[in-house]
Amino acid sequence: MITIGENINATAKSVAQAINNRDTEFIQNRAKVQAEAGADYIDVNAGSGYGSQEQSIAAMQWVMDTVQQATDKPLVIDSDDPKVLQAALARYSGDNVIINSVTAEPERLTSIGSLAAKRRASLVALAMGEAGIPDNVSDRLAACDRIVKELAKLGVPTESIYFDALVLPISVDPSQGMITLNTIARIKQRYPEAKTVVGLSNISYGLPNRNIVNRSFMLMAAYAGLDAIIVNPLDTKMMGLIKVADLLTGNDPMCRAYIRAHRKGLLQD
Amino acid sequence: MSEDILSLIKENVVQGRINQEDEGMEEGMEGKPAVTELVQKALDDGIDVQKIINDGLTSGMDIVGQKFEKKEYYIPDMLASAEAVGAAMEMLEPHLAKNGIEPKGKIIVATVKGDLHDIGKNIVTILLRGAGYLVKDLGNDIDDQTIVDAVKKEQPQFLGLSALLTSTMTHMRAIVQSLKDAGIRDKVKVIVGGAPVSEQFAKDIGADGFGADGFQAVSVIDSLNS
Repeated sequence: MITIGENINATAKSVAQAINNRDTEFIQNRAKVQAEAGADYIDVNAGSGYGSQEQSIAAMQWVMDTVQQATDKPLVIDSDDPKVLQAALARYSGDNVIINSVTAEPERLTSIGSLAAKRRASLVALAMGEAGIPDNVSDRLAACDRIVKELAKLGVPTESIYFDALVLPISVDPSQGMITLNTIARIKQRYPEAKTVVGLSNISYGLPNRNIVNRSFMLMAAYAGLDAIIVNPLDTKMMGLIKVADLLTGNDPMCRAYIRAHRKGLLQD
Repeated sequence: MSEDILSLIKENVVQGRINQEDEGMEEGMEGKPAVTELVQKALDDGIDVQKIINDGLTSGMDIVGQKFEKKEYYIPDMLASAEAVGAAMEMLEPHLAKNGIEPKGKIIVATVKGDLHDIGKNIVTILLRGAGYLVKDLGNDIDDQTIVDAVKKEQPQFLGLSALLTSTMTHMRAIVQSLKDAGIRDKVKVIVGGAPVSEQFAKDIGADGFGADGFQAVSVIDSLNS
């Protein structure tokens, strides 16, 4: 499973503050520890919601520069503003990059899809349209259909799409666990060449012992066909279990990664 | 007798039991009468409707709020209790006007433009209805002008705005400004909430109140209402 480290996100107050203060050490440290903890990609979100578009662009470019000085890991560029994404891509020196994210909403799908096509970037696409997150599997799939069709026209191949199956809190609606799992399974059935991704901590919102719920849900999602996960790589129990998930779903040839993780002491009972 | 049944209603609100088949928070309650059966019994016994609401439903919900604040209760517990109160209020509805009981106030709620998150707003709506307010829910992704127009038309005492994204919370500031421009800012109290929203942000944009969760929203509105 591909792991995307989520710890550089300006939605967190400490990160927003560090970006505002242009605190190089804070941001570089976040990048380094996530890389060392085994994140395959590092997500970069510099949007704090305050200030102008120019300020958002400047903040994103500063974070891009700062993170790239600290690590060679590929980045996931995270913004809902096409202009911010474009500015971030201009500062990116790597080949391998993921843009996060689009929905089936036509206008942004076209503008951000074109960016992805030009840059040959992969693209996280949320399985939803203009009307919000569908509360059922078939409407989420319908959004994926529209996304595949539109992106194909723009020259983004289906294998470059990471479909986010979307996770809603089970505390509010007990059917949401299976809806996400079935969405993942159906996307993999219909578009085997596409990848699936979730940020799964939303599942446990409003519940006690969230970590147990999150880890268990990750294992179930792995069985459903999850390819990538947006995760806190410093959660060592989660990172260990991801190795177990790869092992048990046949994605760890000769059990090499699992045994390597064991030798490094990364697997916690 | 009437006190017994009212305290049973209160207890069952705390347990989050709508009808007798429901499990409660604690084990072994299946089969015992729950909120809807007890409210029916109270009505049959001729107990004052206002008393059923105040001493049964509202005082039960107050305890749920305290337990939620202490992290003894979680969102599903709170929702179960709120649903039980909602079911009871539906049964009491026809009796309210007859007994001259008015809603505590009128509130319009909406999730702002560009934001499709409605879970928090829906929880606040359930709790406000349970607390005796008349709530009109405009939905999510509602543009500023529609919200201002609704305030003009409906003339509520309160406007509750929700945003879950840092990129959409800026609409709250614009809406407060539009209410000023329309000359109706002093006619309505504006309460804001949602994950990225803070007390400080509420102050900055000139809102009247901030609720960190559903119960806080209710208590802030209650205190502004008195």
